[in-house]
Amino acid sequence: MRYILLSFLTLIFLTGCTNTPQTDPMVKIIGNCLNNDIIIRDISERVRADDFMQIQVTGENLTSNYFKIEYRVVWFDKNHFKIDSILSNWAEIPAYGEQPFYINAISPSHKATSYRLYLKKEGNLICEHQSN
Amino acid sequence: MRTSIKLALSSTLAIALLTGCSSATRNIDIHNDKKASAVMGLDYRDFQGVAQDMVKSLINSGAVSKPNGGRYVLVVSRVINDTMQHIDTDQLVKKIRVALLRSGKVVVTTAVGLNGAEDKMAMQTRKDLRGNGEFNQRTVAAKGQMIAPELSLSGKIIQRNIRVDSSTQQVEYYFQMTLTDINTGLAYWEDEKVIGKRGSNNSVAW
Repeated sequence: MRYILLSFLTLIFLTGCTNTPQTDPMVKIIGNCLNNDIIIRDISERVRADDFMQIQVTGENLTSNYFKIEYRVVWFDKNHFKIDSILSNWAEIPAYGEQPFYINAISPSHKATSYRLYLKKEGNLICEHQSN
Repeated sequence: MRTSIKLALSSTLAIALLTGCSSATRNIDIHNDKKASAVMGLDYRDFQGVAQDMVKSLINSGAVSKPNGGRYVLVVSRVINDTMQHIDTDQLVKKIRVALLRSGKVVVTTAVGLNGAEDKMAMQTRKDLRGNGEFNQRTVAAKGQMIAPELSLSGKIIQRNIRVDSSTQQVEYYFQMTLTDINTGLAYWEDEKVIGKRGSNNSVAW
């Protein structure tokens, strides 16, 4: 009886060990895009069939509070000249408490080949990311 | 002498009081004007924000990208102002037109419009100069050169005023836009943006 109980406890212990949470493979911190309230996990980019560049920023609000995040994407052509556009003005997205948030941006012209992303919270710059 | 001193003193005080009361005029820094108070009516920040959202939505949808490359020819149809404000809808439409033109996917015709050509000169020069011996006819626009529009952009701005309580009102503005394929009459893209403002009943939204 004692052996059975011991075996059972050992089994529970081992099963418990295997269920230990693994490090989230998706967790990725981009450059300096991190402060106490926000973490940027990923910035994906693609060139669409119609030659417009598109980026998606995935982040998370680490607090339990709702706030707005301001973002701005400045686009550059192949010669690294800035492309003037209304799409490079500051815009806002909601960040709900303890929830992920997504920013989708599209280039203003098919001539865009690179970009620079800025994120602000309450007027303070928290992230600056330059594409390759 | 005492009377003149009194007069001078009261004049100085009056000037100082009047100068102090009037707020000095200053230019707005339109690139950094977020901290300024919102107004119940629509201001340039609202038009800028809506235009930005609409252009983003329009390009994102792919509706302005020709399947085989090249540029679509766009005509601006009617944008109805159904608000209590005197708005020139070009405050919104012009920003969208400029952005679409710069996208490299759209070119806007000014030779066609609901109330005649937007730029009447293109048609006028044809009428006046064609066959006019004073002009080298090889430099006069030939017949059949104008390009007909393929897409039409139309829209509406709606205002709703709601009384929240005895001292507060809410004003909602709906910006609706549609892109129609002229050949088929089908709407390829549509979107709506809402701006809501809540403030004192004493504020006027017209």
